[in-house]
Amino acid sequence: MLLTFERMGALRWILVLWGVLVAAFLLLPVLFIVALSFGSSRWLQFPPPAWTLRWYQELLADPRWLDSILTSFKVAALVTVASVLLGLLAAFGLVRGRFPGREVLRAFFLTPMILPVVVLAVALYALFLRVGLNGTLAGFVIGHLILALPFSIISITGALEGFDKAIEDAAVVCGAHPFEAKLRVTLPALKLGLFGAAVFSFLVSWDEVIVAIFMASPTLQTFPVRIWGVLRQDLSPVIAAASSLLVLLTLVLMAAAALVRRGSRR
Amino acid sequence: MAHGPSTMPAHGLPAAGRAPSLRRWDGLGYVLPAFLLLAFFFVLPVVALLLRSVLEPTPGLENFAKLLTTPTYAQVFLNTFTVAGVVTLASLLAGFPVAWLLAVLPGRWAAFLFGVILLSMWTNLLARTYAWMVLLQRTGVINRALMDVGLIDAPLPLIRNLAGVTIGMTYIMLPFVILPLHATLRAIDPAVLQAASLCGANRWQAFRRVLLPLSLPGVAAGSLMVFVMSLGYFVTPALLGGASTMMLAELIAQLVQSLLDWGMGGAAAFVLLVVTLALYALQVRFLGSGRMTAGGAG
Repeated sequence: MLLTFERMGALRWILVLWGVLVAAFLLLPVLFIVALSFGSSRWLQFPPPAWTLRWYQELLADPRWLDSILTSFKVAALVTVASVLLGLLAAFGLVRGRFPGREVLRAFFLTPMILPVVVLAVALYALFLRVGLNGTLAGFVIGHLILALPFSIISITGALEGFDKAIEDAAVVCGAHPFEAKLRVTLPALKLGLFGAAVFSFLVSWDEVIVAIFMASPTLQTFPVRIWGVLRQDLSPVIAAASSLLVLLTLVLMAAAALVRRGSRR
Repeated sequence: MAHGPSTMPAHGLPAAGRAPSLRRWDGLGYVLPAFLLLAFFFVLPVVALLLRSVLEPTPGLENFAKLLTTPTYAQVFLNTFTVAGVVTLASLLAGFPVAWLLAVLPGRWAAFLFGVILLSMWTNLLARTYAWMVLLQRTGVINRALMDVGLIDAPLPLIRNLAGVTIGMTYIMLPFVILPLHATLRAIDPAVLQAASLCGANRWQAFRRVLLPLSLPGVAAGSLMVFVMSLGYFVTPALLGGASTMMLAELIAQLVQSLLDWGMGGAAAFVLLVVTLALYALQVRFLGSGRMTAGGAG
């Protein structure tokens, strides 16, 4: 009755109306920013008096913006590789290992996810001030890796738990070296989990701003840190252009994820 | 300690010939790199930070005493808990019908609504906060529209105050309450509600006595998650709030970065950490650990 759409009577239209309102609430600000990024008004008039690509030109002509985008890509790429590798190893240990305290360790690996990021950011900042890692690429990568690793471990342990080890054993019985069996039988079967780990790790690093604010120096900052810095000054339409590029990236990644999911179902 | 892949019991050959003491530690080598990373760059710095709260400037609990007795800091705590509470309540009220709708909508429409929720959730936090900064400003679209239709005469102060922070954060937290609630509602067998109706319950009674109680685990999971996340939020309060609406995470950042007061910063971090972990423990204890999903950074 209350969980069957056709039999809910007038109630279902109330729910639908509410759903439309909330969907608009969630969607309109994002569309609004994209529209503003093409608007000609410096003062973010809406609807824009005319359309222009000026803010994108300003964004892409400014070496400070380009440098920050490049830094973000470098950091996110390194974090993705490290996070998937460490996550894969840890997943093998957690799923197949037989040592005591495995469950505790698994919970421990996920704690960076529940801890307020600002605490990690401040703590790392103090440590890195001492060892001279502040304002370095390594500093960004380590900070983001801590935050990305739990996502990697969840994604890959999930895939590994769903993989029937008998298939790997069969390869070994047929004469494959255990390592070869892992590499050529198990790893391909985990590809969806690995892909998920990579996408999440990349996004965690790419979008992360709090640790990055503390890690940044005047000469080395990530894209979000640069946005943050400009936003503290004024609401420049260049930020709308930068935000729209980030929305585009989100859409691309969502589409890629949907395609991979569809491909794997076949 | 275990080492290469060949010592894993996992490669399928019967491990009977191996000494049990060796098997006991099999697999530990695999988790070692991740463990060392977290030990050195997570546990060590956090513990060091917390220690500074009782060691600097002089050993003792004076930082905590100051934190709990100074009116400025009391205001920060009040702001933090007020915003977290209001945001949780608002997300829950707005999100419950959406989660319900998602559970009953035909596939195609549900997929569309899911797409909208995920797009919003995955869009960069700064981009979304920027959107609200522009929308809520004095000359923003919302104020202009309200004035055009004659509801107000002068622009409402919607930004640099608690209203702005609450609106912006509810926007960001909504998906985190919709998704777990949807999972709970989805798992309820519609036949239970048919049974209620056969037994003579009207719509309201069926909702009040069957659907709502059955959805409570999802309500609790979603609201605890949003509450905990809101307590430690930094970016949105810093950009949409003003000087008088500072929240705990901003206070920590400011104490450390601008005032270089590591003792007080450590103490404030300690409080935030203890409250977060206590609420998380509550969640695990009553709802099982599986329900707490991605926290998201803010």
